[in-house]
Amino acid sequence: MNQRGHLLTVLLLLMTAAPAFSQQPANAAVLPQHLRLKAAYSAQSVDVLLDPAAPAWQSTPVQRIALNRTPPLYDTEPPASLEISFVEVRTLRTANKLFVHLSWRDASADYADLPAVPDTPPEQRFLKEHTLGPERFFDAAAVMFPKDAPGGVVSPSLQMGDAQDPVLIYYWNAARGAMRMEAAGRGTTRRTGESFSARAVYVSGAWQVVMELPALPPATPIAFAIWNGSQLDRDGRKYFSVWHWLE
Amino acid sequence: MSRHQYAMVMDLNKCLGCQTCTMACKKLWTDRDGTEYMYWNNVETRPGLGYPRQWDRSGGGWKDGELQPGRLPTLDDYGAPWEYDYEQRLYEGSGKPVMPSPDPQSGCNWDEDVGALNGNDNFYFYLPRICNHCTYPACLAACPRQAIYKREEDGIVLIDQERCQGYRYCIAACPYKKIYFNEITGKSEKCIFCYPRLEKGEVNACAAQCPGRLRFVGILDDPESPVHKLVLVYRVALPLFPEKGTQPNVFYVPPFNPPRRGNYGKSILEDPRLPLDYLVYLFGPEVKDVIRRLEAELVRAQNGERSEMLQLLIGRDAATRYRIPAREQLVQIKT
Repeated sequence: MNQRGHLLTVLLLLMTAAPAFSQQPANAAVLPQHLRLKAAYSAQSVDVLLDPAAPAWQSTPVQRIALNRTPPLYDTEPPASLEISFVEVRTLRTANKLFVHLSWRDASADYADLPAVPDTPPEQRFLKEHTLGPERFFDAAAVMFPKDAPGGVVSPSLQMGDAQDPVLIYYWNAARGAMRMEAAGRGTTRRTGESFSARAVYVSGAWQVVMELPALPPATPIAFAIWNGSQLDRDGRKYFSVWHWLE
Repeated sequence: MSRHQYAMVMDLNKCLGCQTCTMACKKLWTDRDGTEYMYWNNVETRPGLGYPRQWDRSGGGWKDGELQPGRLPTLDDYGAPWEYDYEQRLYEGSGKPVMPSPDPQSGCNWDEDVGALNGNDNFYFYLPRICNHCTYPACLAACPRQAIYKREEDGIVLIDQERCQGYRYCIAACPYKKIYFNEITGKSEKCIFCYPRLEKGEVNACAAQCPGRLRFVGILDDPESPVHKLVLVYRVALPLFPEKGTQPNVFYVPPFNPPRRGNYGKSILEDPRLPLDYLVYLFGPEVKDVIRRLEAELVRAQNGERSEMLQLLIGRDAATRYRIPAREQLVQIKT
């Protein structure tokens, strides 16, 4: 889906979607770390499962994953408080895919309908696309897991894997869409140029994002990250979870 | 630090504020999607707000060997670009005049010629600005992606568009706010010192187009280059805000600043047209020594002696103002 279509989905669902964010009180105890995430089988179609408000998700058990702020990476950056303390995760399997539904409370939806780079060269066009917010950052979420077959209880470094254990990152950005990335340690993250299926809605002060991942085998380590645009989040300035395991 | 360093000297006494350099740069490099608000080369009225607004108070640079915090300018600080509805007004005949949209509220050199008062007298001058291609670039140090590099052969600072992820730490870190974010590509961009032109023996577009002939270009460590002579031999050109610690490689001959009343028998420093404090703010305390040197040279010329320094500053032809070595020569210049 192109980015204008992506935003259209966001806007339409803003008006129609029922909130799928769990009704647990915000002060409910966050579950202990290193969870085993159950992914039940679903016979629903890809299109249905990609809808964050689909009934299939409403009936899927939710697991609340604690989030942490990365420590300040650079002395020059202002400190950020823990505004988003957890993300709620639901997982469903189909015959050959894993679907991950993430929802988290965020008081401001930081997104934009960015135009794509037009195919026609700029010199052949009367009007150019404009930068409208050189200072703004967008909300985002990511799921990270080992690139190679999981080794059971051994997980790569949380800091974007390591040279021996490279990771794949499925990254969704509220303005730039879904991007597949690779990394083998901090500072090595690179975009593969590939996209993947993801859809998002922002309802009642919370994002809900569904990502279509490859069918990861049981015991795969999996970690989550959330970026809050209004907190100037980008790069390693973000919220992150520890490793959890798929069942 | 690089093996050699390209540098530019701009003689502020000759700047007309005509923006021909700005347009030369714009047409060549930033007439693309996402770049409309960017002026890699801009000319601003001083004293004034600057472009982006209040950039000189936006932090960044070095202090005691540490990068300093800086802020990201907003689109309003730069001035939101506008378009004209030619389609509707001219071709579809709405009968209304062509108007800019959105309504312009700020922009590059928005406070043109406003200046300030020195007593009851208004004063202002023009300050052309490009990336300083610093010896110790704060932008380079701030980038966690190592996307910014300084060319070993000539010291030009560039952003690798493949590695850049648009994090913008570089923009906050640059005390001169000479890096710009392209929201359409998601990458940051900056002045490239026209390196593709230099590599063909052509001087930077901003310099080539300048009607005031105020720009001098060459290798700082090349004893034959005009920039070497002006900066290191005659010592009449200074970097902007030297206290920011990045060691800029763009230098300015400060406004010559004649006395306010009468030209004869008075020192320039005695009754300056521009408050010296303002020049000290921009160029540091050494600016007073520079003005004394310039004044002494002017007196020599007025007494009928020949001044090599003033002849150079006049810069009659391109061969005087520019010395662009071929790439092979660049490698051979001894440091």
